Amino acid sequence: MTTQIAEYHGITPVRRRLRIASRWLLQAAIVIVAAALVIWLGVAVREALARKGIQFSFGYLGNVANFSLSEGLVLSREGSWLVLEGFSPSHSNLQALLAGLWNSLKVALSAIVLCTMFGTLVGIGRLSTNWLVRNLCFGLVECVRNTPLLIQIVFWYFAVVLRSPPANAAANWFGGLLASRAGVFFPGLVIHDSAGFASWGLLATVFAAAAACVVLRGRRSRLILLAVTILALIATVIVGFPLGLDLPVATRFGARGGFALSPEMTALLLAIVVNSSAYVAEIVRGAIESLPKGQWEASASLGLSRPHTLRDIILPQVFRIVLPSLANRYISLTKDTSLGIAIGFPDLFNVYGTVSNQTGRNLEGVVIVMLTYLTLSWIISASVNAVNAHVNGRGMR
Amino acid sequence: MSTVALRWLHRNLFAGPFDAALSLVVIPILVWAAYAFAHWMLVEAHWEVVGGSLKVLMTGIYPSDQLWRAWFSVGTLCAMFGAGLGLSVRPGRAAVAAAASAAAVIAALISAVIDLTSGMLTAASTALGVAAWVGIHHSGLDQRVVLSGLLAGVLAIFVVLSPPGFEVWGGLLLSVVLTIAVSILTLPFGILLALGRQSRIASLRVISTAYIETMRSVPLILVVYWIWIIVPLLAPDTSVPSLLRGMAGYALFFAAYVAEYVRSGLQAVPKGQIEAARSLAMSTWTLNVDIVLPQALRVVVPSLVGQILDIFNGATLVFIIGLTDFLRAGQMILADPQNSGRTYEIYVFLFAVYLAIGGAITYASRRLEAHLARGTR
Repeated sequence: MTTQIAEYHGITPVRRRLRIASRWLLQAAIVIVAAALVIWLGVAVREALARKGIQFSFGYLGNVANFSLSEGLVLSREGSWLVLEGFSPSHSNLQALLAGLWNSLKVALSAIVLCTMFGTLVGIGRLSTNWLVRNLCFGLVECVRNTPLLIQIVFWYFAVVLRSPPANAAANWFGGLLASRAGVFFPGLVIHDSAGFASWGLLATVFAAAAACVVLRGRRSRLILLAVTILALIATVIVGFPLGLDLPVATRFGARGGFALSPEMTALLLAIVVNSSAYVAEIVRGAIESLPKGQWEASASLGLSRPHTLRDIILPQVFRIVLPSLANRYISLTKDTSLGIAIGFPDLFNVYGTVSNQTGRNLEGVVIVMLTYLTLSWIISASVNAVNAHVNGRGMR
Repeated sequence: MSTVALRWLHRNLFAGPFDAALSLVVIPILVWAAYAFAHWMLVEAHWEVVGGSLKVLMTGIYPSDQLWRAWFSVGTLCAMFGAGLGLSVRPGRAAVAAAASAAAVIAALISAVIDLTSGMLTAASTALGVAAWVGIHHSGLDQRVVLSGLLAGVLAIFVVLSPPGFEVWGGLLLSVVLTIAVSILTLPFGILLALGRQSRIASLRVISTAYIETMRSVPLILVVYWIWIIVPLLAPDTSVPSLLRGMAGYALFFAAYVAEYVRSGLQAVPKGQIEAARSLAMSTWTLNVDIVLPQALRVVVPSLVGQILDIFNGATLVFIIGLTDFLRAGQMILADPQNSGRTYEIYVFLFAVYLAIGGAITYASRRLEAHLARGTR
């Protein structure tokens, strides 16, 4: 039968061998063309650089940077210790790029946490039975998704943050939060030097017991752990609490104390959180709608209230469905931090621009930045995939 | 109040104690916010800053005596938009025609307040769009003819706008032209990449996949900036305008996304069709062009239209290569000390325009999705 068909199409063994050979030739040709393209690109760029008197090398990374950044921490060596300190012009170019990466990661990680929370809330809100909530959430999502992220960032920076009151007349909410055009100030934690070993030990007990309380199941053990936590906490207070709250204070020359976010960071974070929340909301809404309607009806017939159904039946399943889409969102969000350049936030891309302007080394820099973003994307999708496998692996489907 | 309204209120705002409390808290805040915004819009805002700088916002630093070129482009764009509507909207949709004429009247009125000639030109452009819509509807033209007409329109816009030099293109016109050009450029490249990723030839598959994945995991701004830098290094003797370099960057970046959309469409084509075509001894080329792609593209048309929104939104990043798009033009106006107090007016205007265009694209994509779903089910 097969030979008949082969003969019908005129495929003799010789011709088949020829066909296989030609396929191999094609493969080889494609690889050669692609390689030639890459090599030509490399050689042409190298020659162009050589004409300008620049050699392709990464040696410039060790040179002194000679520019300053408005924010950013670097790891640097102090004696035999590694310490985190603010970036200064005497650090190297590599340290500058690391400070930029630190800033990007700072925004990206906070935004990932915040947009997941807000996005889930908005997504649930879009399906609310309350007309008002539903339409407010819908309006937010539509406004955000139909305008460019860049105008949102620029708007938050120039029209909101820079137009808020100056630090000495800062809006002061809940006694501890200062919002001003010099940035946002949160209450910070300070360590009391006088605290002894005993109080640190007690504090560690408090944290350990509280963590165990969250992780462990069982009513009895939880109660015991709760009691231990409270007792240790009281003991810590009596012995001397090693940590204190540092409330920011508005003075005539600006705000002091606490934990400060720069105006650029505030604007970028706000813009990215609001923007990504809208996308997360759509992902969550889609996931909720994809669940069988019977689940709502079944739990209603069991007498569960709507919020209860949402919390115990719907959301745990939604969490499983949305993970892959959330990974994509997190990756875009991380890439979006590169728009900070429009408002002068020293993120990785911005610092790369400064370094390459100063040294003329665009290509080495772009290789580094590209590899960094590739690595970040890979880390995000790998970790979400790991969580996905963990959540969906046990007896699911 | 009628019982219908009462029932609506009861069901939507006061269904339970929690809903009622929420409504009682939120509604006054909303009313107050709406009042404050309306008061600002109508009383406090100084809209003459927008009116006075409309030329900069719309065309950037394009020479004033060459503005007829811009008007030609607006007319062509309107006609293309009308033709597109005529192709995609089903006959008998009087509402669309009514909306289009209403838009023409409003556009004409708004621009007439500013300047009589531009008002007339706007009205003429919109009328051209409506005419194109009606024409395409009733002529029963072949889709391919219309599509090549659209391509010719884009080319004509480019040719007519280019004499004063690419450096002076700016404002909303630049954003729109860039978006259209990039959308068209990405399509063939994206399709080739998608086919390459699905190919039986391993090396082609690996190269396409590597390209797509790399482009998808780096930021757009990096790609645009990098192409902008590398082109003068590769072609040192000729100076390629920033706009063309920017377009190349955008096209290379978004082609990867188009490729992923098209791939999803390719996967939607039933495997039996491909096997059937192969058993008829069709060549790979014929198989793809005549059987697979028409069906695959049909499925992904809504996503591709949505992609245009991404490109339009991404076009704001051209500031990195020194071009003045719509957003940048607004910022330039604010940089003038004379307008420094007009931040909100300019940003509200920019937001409104972006929202209107973005909303139109989203709406079109949704309508297309519904339209296509009706055809297949």
